[in-house]
Amino acid sequence: MLRAKNLSAGYKELHILFDINAKVEKGRITTIAGPNGSGKSTFLKSLFGLATIHSGKVVYKGRDITPTPPHDRTKMGIAYLPQVENVFTNLTVEENLKIAGYTLENGEYEDRRELALSVFPELEKRLKQKAGTLSGGERQFLAIATALIRKAELLMLDEPTAMLSPKFANNIFNKILDLKDKLGLTILLVEQNIKKALEISDDAYMLASGRVVFEGKAEELLEHEKFGEFCIGV
Amino acid sequence: MAVLEGAIVYSNLLVLLSIGLTITYITTGVPNFAQGSMAIFGSFVSLSLWLLFNIHPYYSLPVSFILGGGLGIAIYTLVLKPMIRKEAMVVTLMIATLAVDLILLGVLGAYSDTLAGITSKGTKKFIFTPMDFKLAGLDAILVVSSAVILLILFALFLLLYKTKFGIALRASMENPALAEIMGVNVEYTRLFSWFLSGSLAAVAGSLLPFRQEIVPATGAIIIVSIFAASIVGGLGSIYGALIGGYIIGMSESLITFYLSKPLGPSILLYSKVVSLIVLIIALIVSPKGIAGLDIWRKMTWRRSTSS
Ligand SMILES: Nc1ncnc2c1ncn2[C@@H]1O[C@H](COP(=O)(O)OP(=O)(O)O)[C@@H](O)[C@H]1O
Ligand SMILES: [Mg+2]
Repeated sequence: MLRAKNLSAGYKELHILFDINAKVEKGRITTIAGPNGSGKSTFLKSLFGLATIHSGKVVYKGRDITPTPPHDRTKMGIAYLPQVENVFTNLTVEENLKIAGYTLENGEYEDRRELALSVFPELEKRLKQKAGTLSGGERQFLAIATALIRKAELLMLDEPTAMLSPKFANNIFNKILDLKDKLGLTILLVEQNIKKALEISDDAYMLASGRVVFEGKAEELLEHEKFGEFCIGV
Repeated sequence: MAVLEGAIVYSNLLVLLSIGLTITYITTGVPNFAQGSMAIFGSFVSLSLWLLFNIHPYYSLPVSFILGGGLGIAIYTLVLKPMIRKEAMVVTLMIATLAVDLILLGVLGAYSDTLAGITSKGTKKFIFTPMDFKLAGLDAILVVSSAVILLILFALFLLLYKTKFGIALRASMENPALAEIMGVNVEYTRLFSWFLSGSLAAVAGSLLPFRQEIVPATGAIIIVSIFAASIVGGLGSIYGALIGGYIIGMSESLITFYLSKPLGPSILLYSKVVSLIVLIIALIVSPKGIAGLDIWRKMTWRRSTSS
């Protein structure tokens, strides 16, 4: 569904990623593992058009989208949830949902909103509250809900469980699994909570210093020696 | 005109100008030193319509609004946007607006000569007070400027809180990158903010000659008060600009007036010093401006927890 072809990227002249080849298959969960600073977040940003591409291509559904601006990628069904600041804290929950449906027709928005709230019923009683007053976990729920409203087919999540209690983290992982199983979404996940993430994933990549050092099935990475090395490194 | 009435009129106009300055600062990060001259542009629009077509300045407000908005968009797209694209620093952008201010000053000066030639009337200096009338016992300018403020605040409230575009605008103000991710074309919101800033400035400028004499360089003088008002307001929110505008407008007019009683009328020349002193005091009390004051946070906190 989404492919990076010989992708080298970074910020302006700064080179962070080198010659990455990776693919995200439709209807599957793909996890990107790797130590802090290895370029995981930069990789997601470069897939979404928020980083500088030095060479290579990003291909989505067979189409080269390397020059496409982010707001058009949103319309094409790609949703990207940044690691931080992924909701508008000064806007109410309801307004956050509405802005997520910015590109939709009214009737369609209502349908999507209903769907999002059925996945995250926790948000229902918070609609009038400013998003800045939500707990960390509820904020992640809202962030993912906004992606659902955007009619995302491909969801790119950057550390959705960072700084959450284990209980809430589990909750999020279960929701992510639901998104795949019940709604048929494709998910690209970056996680610190790597063991848990690999347990719900189908495919996995490992990055180190901006290069792919492992590519394969999620359960293979769990058993792979590199994973052991990485865990010791953490 | 009674002192208090004059102070209210002046503050109303200052609020229009500081709201404009604050909005473009939030959306594009540009401290616009041409805001004062954008107002004087509006003064000249109304003067021209009066001299050429006998249209009373109160009736030319819509024309001012639209032409002023056009000027705002022109300044943004022709001068600032290309520089922002090349990631110019704030200081560079600020100096660019100073240059725009000088260009506007020159154009307005030349235009006033042309206008004087066509109409064979003096246009280097002008004032609209003789054209004003009484409405329900009050000076019409007091009623009109207050009505304009209320109308614009109401329209802004409807726009920002009740329309999808307004929510997008507020979202872009808080976090433009995230708004872009949500599919909002953030550039439209920037364009709109410059349109609004230009149109509010021009409307203020159309009404300003009812309160003081205008020359092409008046913009360079009132910019001091506009910045003082916006900075006192914290440069971060429309409410801040509103409160800052009234604080600076009222204190500038009233303090100068009461000082002139014991010290003599020559003090009136230094009214801008008063706004700067109020600005300094306000910043010492609250370095982030009025909007950064703790009491606001407590008030909003109380509101959100009680609801
Ligand atoms: N906006 C940025 N500008 C410049 N360098 C950045 C930026 N964001 C991240 N980096 C750098 O890119 C490298 C990779 O960071 P990141 O992609 O966030 O890693 P990860 O998500 O794997 O922890 C780090 O060295 C970081 O300092
Ligand atoms: Mg990261």
